[in-house]
Amino acid sequence: MQLNIFKPFSEYLRPYKTTIILGLVLLLVVQAAYAAIPLVLKQAIDSTKAALDARLAGGAEWAQMAQNSKRDVAIYAGMIAALALVLMVGSVGMRWYLASVSRRVERDLRRAYFSHLLTLPLAFFQKRRVGDLMARAASDVEAIQRFLSNGLRLSLTGILGFFLSLGLMCSIDWQLALYALLPMPVMVFTLRLVSERTRQGYRRVQEQFGEMTAHLQENLAGIRVVKAYVRGAAELERFAQHNAHYVAENRRLISLMSLFHPFTFLLSSLSLVLVLWLGGRQVLEGTLTLGAFVAFNAYLIRLSRPMMILARVVDEYQRAMASMSRLEAIFQEPPQDDRGGDQVAISGGEIELRNVGFAYDSGVALDQVNVRVPAGSILAVVGRVGSGKTTLARLIPRLIQAGQGQVLIDGVALEDLPLATLRGLIGYVPQDTFLFSDTLRENIALGLDDGDGQVEAAAEVAQLSADIEQFPQGLETVVGERGVTLSGGQKQRAALARAIIRRPQILILDDALASVDTRTEEEILKRLRQVMATRTTILIAHRISTVKDADHILVLDAGRIVEQGTHAQLVERGGVYADMYRRQHLSSSLDNF
Amino acid sequence: MEEEDLVEKGFDTKLLGRLMAFLRPYWRWVALSFGLILLTSVVRQAGPYLTKVAVDDYIVTGDLAGLKNIVLLFLALLVAQFFFGYVQSFTAQIVGQWAMRDVRLRIFAHLQRLPLHFFDRTPVGQLMTRTTNDVEALNEFFTRGATALCSDVFTIVTILGYIFYMDVELGLVTCAVLPLATATIFWLHRRTFHSFRRARTRLARFNAHLQETIAGMEVVHLFKCEQRSVDRMGRANDEYLDARLEHTLYHSIYFPFMEVSGLLLTALVLWYGAGEVLQEQAEWGVLVAMLQYVPRFFMPIRDIADGFSTIQMAMASSERIFELFASEPEPEGGNVQLERVQGTIEFSHVWFAYAEEEWVLRDVSFRAESGQSLALVGATGAGKSTIVHLVCRFYEIQRGSILVDGVDIRQWDMGALRRRIGIVPQDVFLFSGDVESNIRLGAPQLSSQEVEDAARHVNADRFIRALPDGYAHAVNERGTSFSTGQRQLLSFARALAAAPDILVLDEATANVDTETEMLIQEAVEKLMRERTSIVIAHRLSTISHADKILVMHRGQVREEGRHEELLAKGGIYYRLHQLQYRET
Repeated sequence: MQLNIFKPFSEYLRPYKTTIILGLVLLLVVQAAYAAIPLVLKQAIDSTKAALDARLAGGAEWAQMAQNSKRDVAIYAGMIAALALVLMVGSVGMRWYLASVSRRVERDLRRAYFSHLLTLPLAFFQKRRVGDLMARAASDVEAIQRFLSNGLRLSLTGILGFFLSLGLMCSIDWQLALYALLPMPVMVFTLRLVSERTRQGYRRVQEQFGEMTAHLQENLAGIRVVKAYVRGAAELERFAQHNAHYVAENRRLISLMSLFHPFTFLLSSLSLVLVLWLGGRQVLEGTLTLGAFVAFNAYLIRLSRPMMILARVVDEYQRAMASMSRLEAIFQEPPQDDRGGDQVAISGGEIELRNVGFAYDSGVALDQVNVRVPAGSILAVVGRVGSGKTTLARLIPRLIQAGQGQVLIDGVALEDLPLATLRGLIGYVPQDTFLFSDTLRENIALGLDDGDGQVEAAAEVAQLSADIEQFPQGLETVVGERGVTLSGGQKQRAALARAIIRRPQILILDDALASVDTRTEEEILKRLRQVMATRTTILIAHRISTVKDADHILVLDAGRIVEQGTHAQLVERGGVYADMYRRQHLSSSLDNF
Repeated sequence: MEEEDLVEKGFDTKLLGRLMAFLRPYWRWVALSFGLILLTSVVRQAGPYLTKVAVDDYIVTGDLAGLKNIVLLFLALLVAQFFFGYVQSFTAQIVGQWAMRDVRLRIFAHLQRLPLHFFDRTPVGQLMTRTTNDVEALNEFFTRGATALCSDVFTIVTILGYIFYMDVELGLVTCAVLPLATATIFWLHRRTFHSFRRARTRLARFNAHLQETIAGMEVVHLFKCEQRSVDRMGRANDEYLDARLEHTLYHSIYFPFMEVSGLLLTALVLWYGAGEVLQEQAEWGVLVAMLQYVPRFFMPIRDIADGFSTIQMAMASSERIFELFASEPEPEGGNVQLERVQGTIEFSHVWFAYAEEEWVLRDVSFRAESGQSLALVGATGAGKSTIVHLVCRFYEIQRGSILVDGVDIRQWDMGALRRRIGIVPQDVFLFSGDVESNIRLGAPQLSSQEVEDAARHVNADRFIRALPDGYAHAVNERGTSFSTGQRQLLSFARALAAAPDILVLDEATANVDTETEMLIQEAVEKLMRERTSIVIAHRLSTISHADKILVMHRGQVREEGRHEELLAKGGIYYRLHQLQYRET
């Protein structure tokens, strides 16, 4: 463990330096005030004792002394009250400054985290589970916050409290102070021993818990098989066994942890017993005043607490460090490479693929694809599931990066275009569209400034207007996960509107009308042709009816172009395309039964 | 992530009663635990009182032997306290563990009895949360909530008891601060609970935004709306901070306030007590003990608010658990139980819909004789798989009846019915364990020899023997280390081992290598030959071997007959055949 336990977090703490220093100054004031109180008690009691002794001794001036003593005690009590008020102000300020800094750091960490996530390439998200990325933003950030909040305050309170109390105890009677310290080493030693064992116990409990939940998960995932084979009772039996093991591990841990508090209480009370015996004897012999005895007891209570506090800080520190390294792992992921710089003007929209190849971990998806799409023309791509159509489409807006070859727009390689320019050029409508939990208008505009009814116009082209009228609040209806659920066709048309509104130079429809019925699809394509007259379109589809009017059709199989030409040419040829055409004809005749 | 709904519960006594019911089996332990809390409070707070006795009776009077005795008594009490404290802590926590185990088992047992349509609409993650996190909250309720609250109250009462016993007037002075303290606790509890709840809701909103952004990252990239995401999440993040800071502020005021209250009381006691001592109205020891009691008095008062919050949180969780218990279990069926059946299956005018009025099957009627094989064909969504589900009574039909051996399946004992039917689903689910236990799934009594026989019969024996540990080969979660074909064969062996009279098979469409394909083909034919079977057929050979083919189209049986007859007819079957089976 390094000496400065806050160093890993210094980058995030630095902006709040002033607040932290203020908090620490107040912490000093608070600790000083706390340390002073037993001294005041001592004075008050000794003063009363002197007066009382004088009275018992029968001195003549005792009445005067009693009067003085009464006045003094009132002043001392007033001092305690005054210290209390100082404490109140100081303590509130100290807690507020230090805790609010930790909350602000928490906010900053979260912001840095998601800002960074937004710059990462899509490939990153495909290999990570959402739950894991979420956990980092939630529990890891929280663990750091907890440490910063408690760690700053408690570690210094603990250390200061311990040494101030010890110092003042020594000033009263250093021998008695040493005796009172006797149980401390035993306490530190046993706490370390117990906490090490507890950690191991925790780990075993967690492992057993993992086994139990794994079984639960499996049971629920396979519930059909469980039911089909009437395994409910047997599964319950197995689950009960897992539970029994889990409870057994817990019992071991509990029997250890239950020791913790009674034991620390016992040891810290032993100091009290020692002081009562040794200190009491000294008072009795007259070598220690009663006031000193009382003050000593008060300090003693403040001495044992820091031990337990520090154990907790160390524990939280370790958790926070583990969490910080999990966050760092994400921060170190390189963002998607972007040439950046000024926007580059692209006027035409000619697309060219030169010898393009791409492979996923599972195998080759595209192999030596060469094609040129003249500006303003329509290219259609057909082929079986897994033939590489979507891969081809995703290369163009650089959602994925070609492994071999080059993709060019108007003769410029994609990598030489700033990402913002490239993606601004392209309207991409994916197979599975994603709608945010927001209004339909916002889902189409997506932050675009919508001045003059562009959203309505785009919705009209996408044949969504009639549907929108059906919605309770029209375009202002909230859709997505926590709103109105749209049908597959409606979602696809909303996604289309989202692309159209941006008036892209290049439009890519990746099987984007599959859930729309044939008649609506025809209408959409007709309108699109008007809107897209001078723009380039790439059309990926399963239905031959969708693609038959394209300027050029590619047939892909296993990542290669196997046929290409116009509809008429391909039907003529009698190959894969012709076979697809015939089958679709047949299956549509089945619908009429 | 589920949105946390921390509905403010107030104190729902009915719910509290239902929660307490989980502790009833362990009431002796609970009583012991609470008894010990009482005992430890009394013993634990004896320290200052003993100091008082020591001061007044021995230190002031100079009785060293008496002081020694009181120190020894103190020591003895400490050891007793250690022992009691240990037993109490152990008991409370172990009872919490036992109660949690009971709740988990009850949830699990209940889940086993719920019908499939419940699982169709409830995500597994949510059920996991019920069984783990929500149950954990119940433990918090008992060990941290109720026990801590009880201990705090006992401690306050005990300290007051000691003070009153020593000096009634000082007791009254101490009590004077109680109304103020109580008012502060309630103020804090209300404020922090609200701000805490607000913070939780806002954190949930932030998490929802984050999850949505990650899920929709492609759209964010494509439309370059990163700034919009940053704004949205930034706003949620800032709102969360605001709620948290409010919460932090209350806490920053509350804790010092309680401590300062203690100090002010100390000042009061010092001033008043010293006066009393001087007048010889009170003894020294009383003042000394009081100065020790006052700080101890405010700690439990301060912690009461925490106990309350814990209990309220637990109540929100427990409500979700009770909701789960309230969901209707699957019917257990009638009392017809037969050891063996002939295996006739009859659908008579069956209408079925998964969701209201969206009919998946419309007036379906057919009959399979004992030992016959029936092939179901049809386009996707025609209703084939539904028929398979209904034979096993996974779902309840709305109209008509399904008869097995002439008896309506609703009169069958559910378990007995399913034991007579062997199901081979398209998607094979393997459980973690070993190969043998997976085959033995439906028939735990089988010997290893019988398991091997079943495997051999369906051509699974050869590849199993080739595994490093043979039948003892470990199957990992979901059996991902096996190929699709191997999983199919294991699934056949599993079905056969259960010795069903009726076989229901949904042929896999996935491609497997030619050799395995032949093994599967042969196994299917064997399985079909020996018993009544219903097969959703994707392979031409399976269909041509079937005694009867049902052609499903849009939830209805449209054609029925043997392969050649149907082909000759030139209807739907003919077209389907052209479309789907030409290549094979």
